[in-house]
Order: sequence, then C-alpha cells, then structure tokens
Amino acid sequence: MKKFLDIDWGSVERFIGSLKFAVIVISLFTIGMIIGTFLESYYGTDFANRMIYKTFAFMLIQFGMLLSIIFAATLRLPPKKRLYGFYVIHSGLIIIGIGSLITYVAGVDGQITLAPNEPNRKVILTKDILKITYPSEGKQISTYLPYSAFKKEMDETYNNISIKEFIPFAQGKFAWTEAINHYPEDAQIHSSKYHFKNAFAEQDITLSIHPEAGADFESTVNMGPLSFYYYPEKIAHCFEKNNPSKIIIWNTITAECFTPEERGYAIKTTSSKNRFIVINYKNTYLTFFPDFSPYPMDMKLQTDEKSEMRLFSKKLFEEKPSLFLFGRKAAFYSKADQNWKMTDLEIKGAPVSLPWMGAQISLIDHQDRLVPFNIPEAIVPIQKNGSLIKGDTRAVRLEILDKQYWVTNYSPLSLMIQGKKVIIEVTNESLNLPFELALTQFKMDKDPGTNNPASYESFVKLFSNGVTTNHHVYMNHPMKEAGYTFYQASYSQDNQGQYNTTLAVNVDQGRSLKYLGSLMLVFGAIWHYNLNNKNKNKKAEALS
Amino acid sequence: MKNIFLLMLLTFFSTSLLAENYFCKKDLEVLPILQGGRVKPLFVHASETIKNLTGKSTVGDYSAVEAYCLLSLNAMGLVNDLKLEARIDHVDLMKFLGLAKDQHFISYEELINREEEIKLEARKPTENQSYKNAIGKLYDNIFFYKQIKSGDNWLLAANNNGILDWQPLTVYLTEAKVIAQKALTPNDPFLPVLLRSKQDFDKFNGNEKYELELFYAKAGLAAWALSLSLIALATLVLFKNFNITLSLAAISALVQMVLIGLRVTISGRAPITNMYETVLFSGFGSLSLALVLGHLKKEKLFVYMGLAYNVCTLMMLNFANGMLTATISPLVPVLRDNFWLSTHVTTVILSYGALALSWILANTVLIKRKFGSITKKDELMYSDIIYTTLKWGTTMLAAGVILGGVWADYSWGRFWGWDPKETWSLIVLCVYMAILHGRYTSWIRPNRFITITAGAFLSVMMAWFGVNYILATGLHSYGFSEGGAVFLGSFFILQITLLVLTRNYQKESLA
Repeated sequence: MKKFLDIDWGSVERFIGSLKFAVIVISLFTIGMIIGTFLESYYGTDFANRMIYKTFAFMLIQFGMLLSIIFAATLRLPPKKRLYGFYVIHSGLIIIGIGSLITYVAGVDGQITLAPNEPNRKVILTKDILKITYPSEGKQISTYLPYSAFKKEMDETYNNISIKEFIPFAQGKFAWTEAINHYPEDAQIHSSKYHFKNAFAEQDITLSIHPEAGADFESTVNMGPLSFYYYPEKIAHCFEKNNPSKIIIWNTITAECFTPEERGYAIKTTSSKNRFIVINYKNTYLTFFPDFSPYPMDMKLQTDEKSEMRLFSKKLFEEKPSLFLFGRKAAFYSKADQNWKMTDLEIKGAPVSLPWMGAQISLIDHQDRLVPFNIPEAIVPIQKNGSLIKGDTRAVRLEILDKQYWVTNYSPLSLMIQGKKVIIEVTNESLNLPFELALTQFKMDKDPGTNNPASYESFVKLFSNGVTTNHHVYMNHPMKEAGYTFYQASYSQDNQGQYNTTLAVNVDQGRSLKYLGSLMLVFGAIWHYNLNNKNKNKKAEALS
Repeated sequence: MKNIFLLMLLTFFSTSLLAENYFCKKDLEVLPILQGGRVKPLFVHASETIKNLTGKSTVGDYSAVEAYCLLSLNAMGLVNDLKLEARIDHVDLMKFLGLAKDQHFISYEELINREEEIKLEARKPTENQSYKNAIGKLYDNIFFYKQIKSGDNWLLAANNNGILDWQPLTVYLTEAKVIAQKALTPNDPFLPVLLRSKQDFDKFNGNEKYELELFYAKAGLAAWALSLSLIALATLVLFKNFNITLSLAAISALVQMVLIGLRVTISGRAPITNMYETVLFSGFGSLSLALVLGHLKKEKLFVYMGLAYNVCTLMMLNFANGMLTATISPLVPVLRDNFWLSTHVTTVILSYGALALSWILANTVLIKRKFGSITKKDELMYSDIIYTTLKWGTTMLAAGVILGGVWADYSWGRFWGWDPKETWSLIVLCVYMAILHGRYTSWIRPNRFITITAGAFLSVMMAWFGVNYILATGLHSYGFSEGGAVFLGSFFILQITLLVLTRNYQKESLA
C-alpha cells in the first residue's frame, strides 16, 4: 500500500500528457483501424467489430487518447494566451469523448421492419441472445451470448438446459444423426442425398421427409426453373400407373395411395367445367378440385390443410420442369414422348439423364431412419459484395438431460422437456417501443428508362395513446417521436411480392455534446494556427 | 414489310445518299436520347457506347455518331459495311476465344455466333474473379451490340398526343412520316423526320441542359487545362518573369472552374460524386489554394507546388480512362439531394489537395537533396512551407471527418459506424496528427520530417483510391488486374522506392 502511494503521480501525469505518449496512442489507434478496415473487407463488419473496433483493448486505446488529451491540457495550466486555441481543441475532443461514452452506454441503435398494415413495436438490436420460451406458462428466459469473434465455451444452466458453447460464425458440416423421438417401424421418414448436374451448375441436394430434418433439408427445392419434389417411397408405384385422369390420391399418415379409377370414384365437372372428385374417407366425404389444390375443400371452398388425405394431379406438373423423387426412384414428364417416365436410382450408381438441357441426377446416399443434419463448425466468415457468403450462422450447443442439441439463428429448437413444451432460439436482443407503427405504403421511384431505384419512401401510421398520426419517412428525412428517430434504411419483398420497409431506429443522448465538441475542435484548430501565425509575424516584425 | 418499303424509298429517291452513309450525318449528334437514367445528346451516348464496345472513339472513317447510326439502321434492313470489333486484353479471355498472342480484336458478328458458348463460360463458377469480370463485360457488350443493331437502343422523343414518349428507332421512323416529309424535302426525307424528335423534346423539357452537355463534351476542357498548366510549369523554369506563370496558372484554374461548373449544371449536383470528379476537384482546389497561399505568404514556391500537383491530376483525367470515367450517371438514393454529403466530401477532397501540396514539395526536396544540393537554411524554409500546408490540410480534414459524422448522423442516425471510407479518413487524420505532435519530440527531427511527410501521403492515396479499388473488392477477388489497383500499386512502389533511395543520403550525411 505504501509502495503504491510512493508512485510519483506528477511524473505519471507528465508522461501521459507528453507528446511522446500522444504519438504512441495515436499510432496504436491508427494501426488498429488499419487492421480493422482490412478485416472488415475480407471477413465482414461483424467480425471486424468483434476482433477490433468493439474490443476492450481498442476501447482502452481510445481511453488512453482521452487521458492524453486531458493531461496534455491540465499540464499546460494556468491558461496562457498563446495556447487558447489548443485549450479549445482539447476541450472539444474531451466533450466529443464524453458524448460518445453517453451514446455507448445509453444510446439505442436498432432496426424495425414494417409489413403493410401490420402494427409493430419491436426494435431489433445488435446483441445476440439465447431465448428460452415456455409457451404453456407464458414464461421467457433470455441470456446474452458472448461478444467474441471465435467460438467460446460456456457453462450456464437454466432448469434442465445447459448452454455449453457459442459459435458466432458457423458453417454446417453434413452428418447423419439419430432421431430424437421414436417412430413406428413402418413410418415413412426417409432422406436421400442426390447429385445434380447441368450445363450451369453442379451440386449436392439432400431432401428429407423426416419430421426432425431442419430447414436446410426440405422436401421441395427449386433450382431456377426446375423444381424437386420429394415423396414417400411407398407412393412411387402409383406414379407408374398410366390412369387416364392422371390423378393420385394418397394418405399422408400411412403413405398408401390409389387412383380414382381403381376405387371407382367418378371424376365430375362443375358447370364452369372444373374437374372435381368426391371420396369417402373415415365415413366423411371429401371434395377435391384436382386442378386447384392438393387439399380437400369445404362448402365455402376453403382448403383443409390438416386433412390426412391428399390428391395429386400429374397434369399440373407437365408444363414446368418438375422432378419427383421417391428415394431410390425418380419420375418426370417427358414432353418429347408425351408421357411420364419412372426410373430407378441406385446408391452411387450411374447418373440418370433428365430431359432438361443435359441435366443429370444420381443418388449418393439414402437413409431410411437417420436424420440429415448440418453440425455447426466454427469458421472465419468470408464477405463478398457487402454480405457474408460463409459463416452467417450463429450457433449454440446445449445439453438437455444428457443429450446434445444445436440451436442456430436459422433453426430454433422446439421440444418437450419432462412433459413441458420449450422453444429455444438464438436471436437478437429486442426493444419494445412505447408506441406502434404500421406501414401504409412503400414507394420506390426509378431513374427514367431504367430499373435503378431513385428513391425509397415509406408512408407510416403511428399509434400512440389512442392517437393516430401519419408520417412520411424517406431518404434524409427521418421521423422523430418520443426521443426515437426513424430513418429509411432498407426494404424487402415478401413471398406475395408485397414490399416491407426497414427503418433504422436510433436514440442518441450524446448528440448535442458531440456537435458542441466538434464545433470547438474545428474553431479551436483555426484559432490555434491563426495565433501561431500572428506570433510568428510579430517575431518577424521584431527581428526586422 | 415496312423495312423493305423504307429501303425502296431510300434507293428510289436518293441514290446519292445510298453511296454515302444513308442519312447518318453529323447533324444527328444534337438529338436528345434517354439512356442510363437521364437525357443526354446522342453525341455523348454514341461516343460512350462506341468507346465501351470497341475501346476506340471512332470506327474506321466513321465518327461515333455515324457508326452508332449505321449500326442501328440494320434494324431497318439497311445494310452497310460497318464492322465493329471488341478489344480483348485479358489473357485468359484471349485464350478462350482462340485469339493469337498479338491479336486483340474480334468482330462482334463472330461473337454473336458464339454467344451461347460465351454465356455458358460466363456463368461457370470460377475462382478467377478478373476473368469472370472480363467475360461478363464481354457478354454484356454483345447484348448492347445486339440491342443497338435491333434499333432498340436508339430512343427518340416523340410527341404522343401531348405526352412525351420515348420510342425505339424502328417504331419512330414510320413510312407515313417519311412520305409526308418527302413532299417537303424530296432529296432527303429522313433526316428532317429524325431531327423533329429534338423539336418535340424541346417543347416539353427545353434544350438547355443537353445542348450544354454537347458543348461540354466537344470542348475538351480537361485537355486545355492540362496544356495550360504544363506551359505554366515550363515558364516557371524558362522565364524570369513570374507574372507569365501566374497568369497561365490563373487561366488554367479558370478553365477547370468552368469544367466543374458545367458538370454541376449538367448533373445538377455537387461535383464530387465519383473518382473522376474528386480528382478534378482536388486538382483545381489545390491549385486555387496554392495561388491564395502564395499570395498571402508572398512565396512563389506555392505556385510551383499547386501547378505540379494540378498537372498530375489533369494527366489522370486525360489519360487514365480505364480508372476514371467522365460519364455522368444518376446517383444512388442515399447520395441524392444532400447538403451534408456535398460539404463533407468537398472539405475532405480539398484537404487531400492541400496534403498533396506537401507531398509534392516533400518529394521535390528529397530528390533535390539526393541528386542536387540544398542548403540547411533552404531545407528549413521548405520544412516551414510543408508545415503550413499540413496545418491547412489537417484542419480541413478534421472538419471534413466531422462533417462526415454529421452526414452519417443525418442520413443513418449515427455519427460513426466504422465504415471503411470514414475510418480511412480518420486514419489519415491520425497519421498527420502523429506527425504534427511528433515534430515536437526527438523522434521526428527536421530532416526526417520531410521524408515522413512524403510517406504519409500513401495514407491519403489509400483512403482516396485504396478503399474503392482494394478494400471494396474483398478477399475473394484477387484483383490487382483492374485499372485502379494497378495505378495504386504502382504509386506505392514508386513512392516507397523514392523514399528508400533518398534515405541513403541521410545515413551518409549523419556519418
């Protein structure tokens, strides 16, 4: 303790306030920024933030600069007239520093996406969180995930759920895994991996009808104009039947199938010449319109998507290139021969030619019960043209009742733990606004004669305490409300082709300080150099 | 059917026309055309298009406008002997097209025959980004060539029942119009019909802007300014009378001001929205600043510095067409109608101009010190002048960086986002701040100060060009084959070589 007090604080102050220390911290800051910009260019903004800009070390350098600025000024007190400009510059910098600190601690920087006529108040912020929801109890737990550039071991437990590892930038590595739940022996839960090749592209496609297969492995995939449809093996034989109606009816639970001709169901037409068919299933009558929907329709012509029975009309898939895959079998319509063809695919067998521009498909792997899964692996992300092309997945490894699970920002986990339903997500921290916003119209003007956007504009309704107001948000014209500022940031198109708008949401309490400090800095610099000039001129006059 | 009719009309009424270029004449260059999101004179569009397609501004004996017109006439069934050739420079692309080593040209007609093959090759995934860019551009050019040949690229303004309508050549030039005109001008009924498009457009929008652009495009002001600055620089050495240099420098600055003013009027925005304009503005700004400083400080050296840097920028504007394009095109939305952006970029570019003055003088002193002789007193005097420009440069740069923050705050709601362009402008400021602070320590002695100032300009070049040409391309384009990166790489190598060469001098002098 005594030794600590013995330090010559005066010399410490003189060192930190010295020009050499200033040069050292400025140089360190500069080197950090140079590395940061290159990292940003190669690996993306988020990685650069996690590696440099928002790390403790870089903050420390900035704090060192602030100390250097403060001490350099205090060392030169009491005020001397020739240093007035210098004092103003340094005070300006200190005020900017304080303003930035306030913004860092208390500011809000997020985004809100508005769909047409859907009120929303949720602002998405930048921090990653793990959110655990118990829907039956209405209970929610969330915890921050570490802000690191590389994978990080964790050890946090909530009820039975332990968080073991966080990967900020992950890429899936394909593997077949055991299913979590149990399925009957004859359940149709198979998955297949195919290799597809045509003149433009070549790629592996894994398709699955396993209920546990994640979003990466679906039963329908589109590749340009070509669509792949993956169906249970058991209904393949119905595709081979050349029944005149080209209709197949099948049961999604048992995967049993038949044609209307086999069972003697009549295909009738409505007064407006639309085909329809009525079948008896478990003592109820189901009406299908084969040319409109695979689902049965009720009296009000609403489709019943929960029905166990489905209808399939091959006719609908003769125009567009469509490939039907049933594990080891494939079916497609040949326009040249005007009929449906069925071929067998052997595992690792010869590729089968398809009738679309030299396309070929071969079967690489087939699993009856295992689940296809992309196991997240930590990688260094790669950026191209402003967006990540590799590593845009954030993944968390969990341990629940001695079993391992992965959750990513693309695939939330939904499971039963001791009879209770639990939803676990990797997502962003969010903030609820004290008012609601809804998009009434999104407008995009184009440059004359081109498709290049010339301006984006959002017309927004704001609902606050029962009062509705209309606002117009567009480039460089933000909307201000209750301390929040909303800027036109971006837009997107949903599946129906409707435009959604994304607004940047911002609260910055340090703003006025930063403006004040900036003004002082610039005027201080002008004053400083001007005074120096005058001094020199005076000296020169004195000498002459 | 219609085409054949037109051809018959043409042969029947004017055999003299057939012998020459049909009706493709110089008169057409003033026609307004809507392309690339704005209205411009046909002269500008034809020149840019022909240059883009062939790499040259004329095709044989035909001017760009004549060539563009003749090519478009193919759509009307009017054949001609015009042959356009694409210039291929990429080695791998030459190999793919089967060109011999010294053969850089291939005709567009042949390329059209091989279009399918080129399309497949362009879509093939490849690691070689520069090859992908080259073949992608070739494929685009084939598309443009076909579009021109089909007459769809040439849009003419027509008064469609009181509404201004842009019609492709094949729609615009109807036999009804030609026959009606034939009654008035039997010798050449075509040209007046085409020229009427200008009258129609002028009725709606006036002719000031695009006719001004025609003047701008033909005046060649950048070349005039370069000649003036070069001569001014020469008179500095050749003549004792400094006033000659001063007047020439002032005239050159004036010409550049007119050039900038014309671009501002034509585009309707601040003159700092692409590389061409920033180089132009920094050259003009630093020459003006040098003239002002030289006047205030009564020091002729400033005029030398301003002129020397001005010549560098004008050389780039006149000769580095691969890197800097003079094309005026519409802006992306966030850059439009923005007071803060204009002031911010103007201030930063002006500060780069001021720092460039220090760079010129520092290099001059280094060369003089190594290969000539220089007195200690002169060296100190030079240091002082460099210091003056640094003061101006850094003050303006600090203001510019802050205005950049204000702009970001105004447009996106945050002062600072570690965006590479803004970060690099701060890096430049920090580099010069370190020098200005270090100058008072024992680390940067007066003789090192000049060397370090010369080297520090590399950070300006990185912030100015490097962010766009090196950082923006990212890790996966091994892109030192593009114009900008080659320029910047050569600049870095030259400057570093110079620093290394002149560094020897110090060792000897210290020993």
